[in-house]
Amino acid sequence: MKIAYEKRKSLYGYGFIALWFIGTVLFFIVPLIKSFTYSFRDIERNVFGGFVGLDNYKQAFLGDEVYAERLISVLKTTALKTPLILIFALFVAVLLNQKFHGRGFARAVFFLPVIVATGPVYNIITGNMATSGNSGATQFSTMFETDLVGELLEFLGVYGISDKLTMTIQSVTTDIFGLVWNAGIQILIFLAALQNIPVSAKEAAQMEGATAWEYFWKITFPYVSPMILANLIFTIIDSFTDPSNLVMDRVLTMQKDWQYGLSAAMAWAYFGIVIVALGIIVAIVNRFIYYEVD
Amino acid sequence: MAEAIKDDKEVGNGMSKRQAKKIRMASMNKQEIAYLRKKAIIEKVWPIFRFLILFGLCFVILYPLIYMISCAFRDPSDMNDPTVMWIPRNLTLQVIKDTAHAMDFWNTLKTTLILNIGCSLVQVCSCALAGYGFARFRFKGKGLLFGIVVLMILVPSQVIAIPQYQQFRNFLGNPDWSLINNPLSMYLPALTGNGIRSGLMIFIFRQFFKGLPKELEDAAYLDGCGPLRTFVQIMIPNALSSFLTVFLFSVVWYWNDYYVSSTFFTSNQTIALMLKNLGNQLNNTILKDMGGTAGFREQIVWMEAGCLISILPILVMYAFLQKYFTEGIERSGLVG
Repeated sequence: MKIAYEKRKSLYGYGFIALWFIGTVLFFIVPLIKSFTYSFRDIERNVFGGFVGLDNYKQAFLGDEVYAERLISVLKTTALKTPLILIFALFVAVLLNQKFHGRGFARAVFFLPVIVATGPVYNIITGNMATSGNSGATQFSTMFETDLVGELLEFLGVYGISDKLTMTIQSVTTDIFGLVWNAGIQILIFLAALQNIPVSAKEAAQMEGATAWEYFWKITFPYVSPMILANLIFTIIDSFTDPSNLVMDRVLTMQKDWQYGLSAAMAWAYFGIVIVALGIIVAIVNRFIYYEVD
Repeated sequence: MAEAIKDDKEVGNGMSKRQAKKIRMASMNKQEIAYLRKKAIIEKVWPIFRFLILFGLCFVILYPLIYMISCAFRDPSDMNDPTVMWIPRNLTLQVIKDTAHAMDFWNTLKTTLILNIGCSLVQVCSCALAGYGFARFRFKGKGLLFGIVVLMILVPSQVIAIPQYQQFRNFLGNPDWSLINNPLSMYLPALTGNGIRSGLMIFIFRQFFKGLPKELEDAAYLDGCGPLRTFVQIMIPNALSSFLTVFLFSVVWYWNDYYVSSTFFTSNQTIALMLKNLGNQLNNTILKDMGGTAGFREQIVWMEAGCLISILPILVMYAFLQKYFTEGIERSGLVG
């Protein structure tokens, strides 16, 4: 039997993803649909049926004392933190892409949080730092928070111009530890993008006498911009699925309380809001991105 | 020596370097001079700033690790000694031994290695297969199926944990087949490309395989090589650095995971779980033996020791693999 080459290749394609497809139906699609239907059912009292419509959602937003509040606070912190992480990661990636002695070591150190930060170790580290008095990293940030930033602003004569600005700067410097420890993967992705900038672009810029500042905005930034989008999505997803964030914490507490229907409704409402927000952000950012056409 | 310096200074026509520079400067206009001067200054000053910034940030990252090491080797009484900041007064290995005992370290390590490293190995292979399928072949419904992959990245595992639990409880609808407390409940999803963060890994592999030249496989096909053999013999050797990067990620995620392994097991001894419960465990063993005299600050010693021995294995692995990680990422497929 002879099958056309193209057709045979498409069969191969099915072959390669067959294993994944079986697993996905069993361990992802079916549970996902089930969890969605739970959010409309009174599953605790009635295992088969018990359709209650939108009651679980109403309960989540109106009945639960903390859910709505936490939802807003999580969205707010994500909105504030994501641009910070991105700017910081890009800055560090640009630094790590330059040639200097000890670069390998510096890179190894900056990716270290990727190894440690996802596990319980991170929680213990941050917990202990908060309780033990002589913790340098917290001192390190408090130093910035109380003295340096305030004095620097006073020195520059900008104090009192805007309380909001001061607050923002302070919140950045206070959380420098969290920033550094949460930007590992973003730095990695940006660095990979920086290494992909063609040498010809660099040389052309040098010939034309571009300053470092111009080089950054005219060469680096456009080439890296697709990865800014990727990193943006990654950062939002990462903070959204983090089990230690407040909404996730509430969902898990409800699960432990055997309130499956309610917890499913909370999770799906949260999920829906994040997806819509993500869609809007991607649509906006996409217009400013430079794609190289080969 | 003196001659060498002289040679260095002389540039053609018997002029010294300085003279040559003067002549060159004379031919330039003001803007050019200003530009060059600015550039020279920046080139001198910038490395110092860069060093300061990087040094400070490296310190922030390394601080908890140094603190961990410092704490793990000190006697608990040193915690209340105000003169002890970094270097312990009473060096001891006892704390590490006690913690290892409380965590049942060697058994825990064995379980973790069998369960987690095994799962990561299997997961990397299954995700590579799926990623290759998505990268290279055209078939009906590919867009929809790849949409599912993206959805896998988006949906947090906590959302589907309970239906998954029921799935494993009555596997394939058969009430006699329970996979709870069975390593299969971790291995099966990993084997079928649905382990921890599999969506992301399939995505990375797809990006990577897309970047490889197509001629590689076409040549193999023309020579009568089957698709699976082409994949194993042609694609995998080319993708080795990417495999290592993804494998490292996978190991780290499985190593640090405690949610999945605590959901499908009633009692499970993986390192992440033991570390999470270390506080309770300590209260029941060591601190109880001491008669509850250990203060809150003194307990930190054991916690930090626990952290140290739990991350030491992956830190060692990272030390070996970081070369691929830090220098070879441009080939890892993270960028499409």
